[in-house]
Amino acid sequence: MSDLRRVLAGIGPALVLLALTALGLGLDNYPKFVISIALVSMLVGASLVVLVGLARCITLAAASVMAIGAYTSSLLAIHLGIPYLIGLAGALLTGALAGWLIALPGTRFRGHNLAMVTLVFQSVCIILIREAKSLTGGAEGIHVPAPTLFGWTVRTDGDFLLLIGVFSALAVLVLTVLVRGAFGKNLQAAAGNEVAAEAFGVSVPAYLTAAFVVSSIGIAFAGALSAPRVRILDPDSYGVLPSIFMLAYPIVGGMHSIWGGLLGGGGLRMLPEVLRPVADYQELFFASLVIVVVMFFPGGLVELIRRAVSVVRRPADDRRAASEHTAARRPATVQPIVAESPEPLLQVAGVDKHFGALHAVNSARLVVPVGGIHGLIGPNGAGKTSLFNIVSGFLPADAGRVTFDGTSLLDLAARDRIRLGITRTFQHVAVFGQLSCLDNVIIGRGRNGVLAAVGQSLDEFRGSAHAAAARNEALAALDAVGLADLARTPAGSLSLGNQRRLEIARAIVSDPRLILLDEPVSGVAEAEIDDLRELLLRINAERKIAMLVVEHNIPFVAKLCRSLSVMGAGAIVAEGTPADVIALPAVRQLYFGEDVAA
Amino acid sequence: MAELGLVLIAGAKFGAIYALAALGLVVVHKATKTVNFAHGAFAMLGAFASFLVVVHWQWPYWMAYVLIPPLIGIVAALIEFLILRPLRRADMFTVVIATVFLGIALSEAFRLTYNTELLAVPGMFVGMPFIFGGVFVTQETLWVIVGALVISSACVVLFRYGRLGRGMRAMASNVRGAQLCGYSVDRVYMFAWFLGGAMAGLAGVFVAPVSGVSVELSIALISAGFVAGVIGGFDSLKGAILGGLLLGITESLAAAYISSAFKNCISFLLLFIVLMWRPEGLFPEKVARRV
Repeated sequence: MSDLRRVLAGIGPALVLLALTALGLGLDNYPKFVISIALVSMLVGASLVVLVGLARCITLAAASVMAIGAYTSSLLAIHLGIPYLIGLAGALLTGALAGWLIALPGTRFRGHNLAMVTLVFQSVCIILIREAKSLTGGAEGIHVPAPTLFGWTVRTDGDFLLLIGVFSALAVLVLTVLVRGAFGKNLQAAAGNEVAAEAFGVSVPAYLTAAFVVSSIGIAFAGALSAPRVRILDPDSYGVLPSIFMLAYPIVGGMHSIWGGLLGGGGLRMLPEVLRPVADYQELFFASLVIVVVMFFPGGLVELIRRAVSVVRRPADDRRAASEHTAARRPATVQPIVAESPEPLLQVAGVDKHFGALHAVNSARLVVPVGGIHGLIGPNGAGKTSLFNIVSGFLPADAGRVTFDGTSLLDLAARDRIRLGITRTFQHVAVFGQLSCLDNVIIGRGRNGVLAAVGQSLDEFRGSAHAAAARNEALAALDAVGLADLARTPAGSLSLGNQRRLEIARAIVSDPRLILLDEPVSGVAEAEIDDLRELLLRINAERKIAMLVVEHNIPFVAKLCRSLSVMGAGAIVAEGTPADVIALPAVRQLYFGEDVAA
Repeated sequence: MAELGLVLIAGAKFGAIYALAALGLVVVHKATKTVNFAHGAFAMLGAFASFLVVVHWQWPYWMAYVLIPPLIGIVAALIEFLILRPLRRADMFTVVIATVFLGIALSEAFRLTYNTELLAVPGMFVGMPFIFGGVFVTQETLWVIVGALVISSACVVLFRYGRLGRGMRAMASNVRGAQLCGYSVDRVYMFAWFLGGAMAGLAGVFVAPVSGVSVELSIALISAGFVAGVIGGFDSLKGAILGGLLLGITESLAAAYISSAFKNCISFLLLFIVLMWRPEGLFPEKVARRV
């Protein structure tokens, strides 16, 4: 993407808000008022995109968070005479606090329980505001004084429009940078596939908390911006119903981009003002609209518009579609390296795991040498997957040692392994389907802490060398697996074989020293199995990455690995080179039930 | 002592209605693994229908009890067919959103057709109150408590021993397995919604004389039903009944001895505590431990 397009995509949404403001300034008082409240709703919609669209959390507490922002700035001004600008900053703070409070239980629940927990927050907030009469004026409401900024008192409709327009555009700019950048992508990854996200250092609870905090800050800010505009704050204007209608903004507009939030917020808020005569029916209309959108247009208005546009722009679209069908480039065949250092990289010793009465792993041991490819085979139920999950950190061991280059892995969370240089692939492919192949691989780089991602989002927005370097590394990894042509394609639309390649690219981009491969060819077409094996051998040879492979396909394992361990009933029953191990009577008996004595 | 008795009776009265509301919610969840956020709106429709039957058309009161539950049940089954069935392959997120807005659409439709704040419905019984140890209990109150609890318990028995109840339980534990055993997903889901809707309708008929018919009823009953369900473990029918009673009595105690504003907070507090510390509920069904 060219620099100009990148910058435009980043500041576009904010520019639209500014353009609306400029347009409104030339109109009468009533349109000025309508545009002001629409701008506030656009900010709310954009904030909800973060939480509802990207993190896929349902919130029925948006109005109460808005109330928190509105009451914070107003009460600071009324009771303490604090200037409006500082009051706005205070609203950011209380908004963040509210988001964090909701996230405390919010990150533990999904679906209906989360909806109910947020409803609890909403209701308790409003009850508290209503009961704390001396502070908030109770149910009768409280008058908000006209704000003053640097000696400029905001009084006329035009003043208010200017104030709201500038500040909401600023807030939307920040949200756009976050949503389009690494933060938004990691958030989608966390919501889309928790296990894969954790494996690549994306902490799901941390990201969900961040989503609540960021969206609450945005909504509280919108509340503080609109408070002087509505003049009288009363708790009933921030009740459950407004909350539910705010939830409609991102759904109707389109949940997956800032544009959807803006379109939904602005559209739904302005519509009843435009259609005054039938205003009575607006709630019924909105509710029905949401149901229709959820049933028939899950992508919302933005998706509809995008589809309409792409019909007009046929040729460009065709080219992309064609490239999706081109087979992945066939990597060159290479000879496996013969010289192998015997120095151990991963050591597993005496590992035990019980599930109730089942002794799933029984003092298992295995060694993966530096740069080696080690296979782990065994019949179903032998404990391979349990052992694999212990090594990858998704299952705690009861006893034993797992060390990587001298560091013990057992006390380490799964997401911390990537820092040491261990990555993995998944038996059931776990790509982040909504993200492009390129973004999937960028997440594989592993620097995915929340703050790091916020910084990265800024880097991407500014177009810094950092961001370009990350992209280039990721492109190189995609090229290594033969998927460079599909960098922009959503990962979810790839074939299974290509998704497995993508997982490999994601696993190698951070330059790890060990990849854990969980059944890398399960479900892959026969013709592609050889390609994948060549690919793995080449990666091993060129990048010196060691591999631990769990796999059922014995011919594949035999040709790929330089050493094998065989598991049976929880214990390692044989070890050695593939040819030796497979010939062992004990192994043949394990697999085929051959009578050794006969 | 007499005051405490009054408070407890009042709590049990609401508790019995909550139990009925929770029961419908739990039946639908048990069979389909979805929580119907429009459940409160169904109950509100039931209460409204009760107003039509008793006040508007002046039909005998028992007809409300006989006609309305199946009617609301049919409405619910139709909604399942028209809206939930196409969404069956969608995730929980989508389904919750759909039912939340469905509830809004139903209550708004009611608000638009009957543009009043509150419709009053008389009680079924107006005779002399009973006196138990100094505590006055009106016949209406006794009817609500006993009637709602007896009907709820009957549902529990039906669910446990009936073929469809078995189908629903099978469906909830393993859809594919239940299908292989000859249960039709479509039919079981539809029947679950019918049953859930019928119970919501019944809760509506019971609640109409107690608190009148208003749009607020919708959110009040879904909240109370949900909290009662969570307290009971959400998959336990007995738990839903006990949870409803516990919630009603706690609310009533809080209103009498703390403050009426706290009455609204207490249910949320209960929900919060149970979800955070005992997500399996206070009265969970015994589940075989999975190995």
